[in-house]
Formats: sequence, structure tokens, C-alpha cells
Amino acid sequence: MLLKKELIRIGLEGETSEDVLRALAGVFVEAGVAKDSYPDAIVLRESKYPTALPATAFDIAVPHTFAEHVNEPAMGVAVLAHPVQFQQMGSPEITLHPQVLFMLAITDPKDQIELLKKIMGIIQDVDVLNKIKDAKSEEEIYDLVGPIVG
Amino acid sequence: MAREIKFLTVCGSGIVTSSMIANTIEEMLEEEGYDGHADESNPSEMPTFLARSKYDFVAYASPIDEEDLNGTPAIPAIGLITGQGVDEFKERMLEIIKANNE
Repeated sequence: MLLKKELIRIGLEGETSEDVLRALAGVFVEAGVAKDSYPDAIVLRESKYPTALPATAFDIAVPHTFAEHVNEPAMGVAVLAHPVQFQQMGSPEITLHPQVLFMLAITDPKDQIELLKKIMGIIQDVDVLNKIKDAKSEEEIYDLVGPIVG
Repeated sequence: MAREIKFLTVCGSGIVTSSMIANTIEEMLEEEGYDGHADESNPSEMPTFLARSKYDFVAYASPIDEEDLNGTPAIPAIGLITGQGVDEFKERMLEIIKANNE
């Protein structure tokens, strides 16, 4: 299971993209799936190559970084307490306000292509995205997203 | 035998997003009866890839420098991830393949 219950947060507080990225990336380090260098790498990567996307339901982001900062493949989800300003992937001049982050710790994209495809499926599914955003507990997201990403 | 289509994907780190895009395009090409092969890169690696091999097109999810393309047709590919603009991408891709064939 690549989605880990301990990597899910609802009501994640933060005023800036860096705040929420560091908070969630720190959870990956605590859980042991990512190295101490992971939060800095995530923040740097996001500033150079932003990962926010205008999904059909609302804006989301898929922060990730290089495999050298990762111990094992994993996926985390954070529902933000309130939308935070990010820049759009591919068009950094466009500002988006993601409400949900899907943070990825990827070691080998070839191995994890099935996960990546399933994440694309979630990004394109208005119903699932809304259910994630409105979840009342981390368990609810785990039970919803877990079976989808496998 | 299905005609081979070689394309280059470009994203920020050359890992996650380019894999998503590459996989989606390969499946799209297969549906159209082509045999798609992707190389994955980031914007700084792109010129090296383009100098080394001939590609039918570039699909990009991060800003690229037009000059670096050296005449290779390029299609924005963010829409493949969000699912908005998949048809437009496919149409443009098939146009390019057709033009490359002539």
C-alpha cells in the first residue's frame, strides 16, 4: 500500500505554500519514508517547477521531488484548512489556490506508473475530489483513496 | 507493423509528471494504431535529447524555450493530467504525425 494512513492530514494549517509543504513533508520524514533533506527539496522543487493543477472540482497540487530524498515509495494527502497560493504547473505565471495536496515520494516512476495513473484518475474525478475535501477524518480519506490507488 | 512514433516528454524534474504524460500518450497512440516510444526529460536536458535523436514531437508540462526545440513540434500537455483538453491534445498530435509523414 503506497497510501499511508500516517501521511494523511485534514485541516492542515499554513499561510503560504512553503508552510503547508514543509508541514506535510515533515510528516513523511517522521514516518521514515523520506530523508531529512526531503522538506527542503520539496520546497525548492516547488519554487522552480510548481505542481499546482486546475482540477475539475477545485485546484490541487502534486508536490514531489527527486528519488535521492526518498527512502520508500509513498503517497500522502493533505486537505488544507484554507486554500493557499501556489503557481500552476507548466505556467508559473498563473496563480492557483489548491485545497488538497497529493504529496508523492517516488523512487522509480517506471515502477510506480500504475500509482501515477491512478492519481491522474483521482485528479480527474470531481466526485472523489469533493469527498476528499469534505472528509471528516483521516480514516475517511484512507478508506476512500486507499482502494483506488491500491 | 504499426508505425513507430518517438516523442519526448518534458517536466520540471523529468520524473513524475513526464511519466504520467508519457504513459497517457503511449496509450493514446496505441489506440490510433501507432507504436509510441517516449523519452523523458526536464527543460535543461531537453536540448541534449533533441540533439541526440529525432522526435516526432515534444509534449511539455513545464515552460520550454522555443529556440531549444530546433524546429521540433511541441504540444502543451498539462491538460492530459487534469483531463481537460485531452481531445485538443490528441487532435494536435495526430496533425503533427500526419504532417511529419508527408
